[in-house]
Amino acid sequence: MAHPSQLGFQDAASPVMEELLHFHDHALMIVFLISTLVLYIIVAMVTTKLTNMFLLDSQEIEIIWTILPAIILILIALPSLRILYLMDEINNPHLTVKAIGHQWYWSYEYTDYQEIAFDSYMVPTQDLAPGQFRLLEVDHRMVVPTEAPVRVLVTAEDVLHSWAVPSLGVKMDAVPGRLNQTAFIASRPGVFYGQCSEICGAKHSFMPIVVEAVPLKYFQDWSTLMLEDA
Amino acid sequence: MSMSGESEDADKKGFKLFGILDVQNVPCARESLLFGAGSALAAGLLHFLTTSRVRRSYDVGFAGFFVTTLGSWFYCRINNAKLRVQERVIQQGLRNKVVYQGTSLDPTQTGPTQMGPTQPQPPKDF
Repeated sequence: MAHPSQLGFQDAASPVMEELLHFHDHALMIVFLISTLVLYIIVAMVTTKLTNMFLLDSQEIEIIWTILPAIILILIALPSLRILYLMDEINNPHLTVKAIGHQWYWSYEYTDYQEIAFDSYMVPTQDLAPGQFRLLEVDHRMVVPTEAPVRVLVTAEDVLHSWAVPSLGVKMDAVPGRLNQTAFIASRPGVFYGQCSEICGAKHSFMPIVVEAVPLKYFQDWSTLMLEDA
Repeated sequence: MSMSGESEDADKKGFKLFGILDVQNVPCARESLLFGAGSALAAGLLHFLTTSRVRRSYDVGFAGFFVTTLGSWFYCRINNAKLRVQERVIQQGLRNKVVYQGTSLDPTQTGPTQMGPTQPQPPKDF
């Protein structure tokens, strides 16, 4: 989850997010170098005593500042396109979960084998247990197995919502009447937090998403328990 | 992922160049910048010693910094990416080893394979 005054990304919990973090570092280094270059040129221009009132053109520098940015853009675009296509790969999901947005809660349905369906409401601040996170905890988490490709079908019952979990590198709009698909693999066990990412009314900020990734055995125990409770 | 671990933040809080580039925690960043700074110093000094032109030496030094940092960054990141791919292949192999141990699909088995009704079928996505 995010910590106060955080500027950067959260730690990655899926292979796609790891790749996105690496790409971000790559793009940031290029941005940093361009910034230093511009800063250096500004200082050099401001402090020079040279003047030339008759400068009309210069083919050499025109070529340099056309070719160099093109090369830099290609160096940024290649890994970017690689990740773009990586995110769209067919990955034979082991599990399909439907995430349905409502005003103002999420509901989840696991219908691969038997019907498991439950609502996921935010835990109000006054009901939080010690150690729990304000505006992020829910009463029923979405539980998934680790190291297994999971397909999430996202839709909404009323208005636009968006199902987002930054650690897993997923965000998908929940549109009424439309089924959007996204997928992720939780690389490690843990609890991953997200929040609704499309304005949806008064309590838009109070419908968080919590994904709990557990080893398969515990996922089986959890699903057995959910079926018994149903 | 730091939840309430203030000490973790203190340990991992790196120096951010220009407030954006976390030099300590980004792989290859520290090495690239150090190489760049070193070559900037060397190139600028060498140019000054040979030509005694101060401003041009600064320009040469900066150009050395730019090119060396960019070059070492790409070189390090490409090797880093190859290592990550190898790491994933090894992890996958270890997982397969555990799953297939004792079956006909065990890559370490050298004897004649024994097919039986209890042999597990490999998942289709492997």
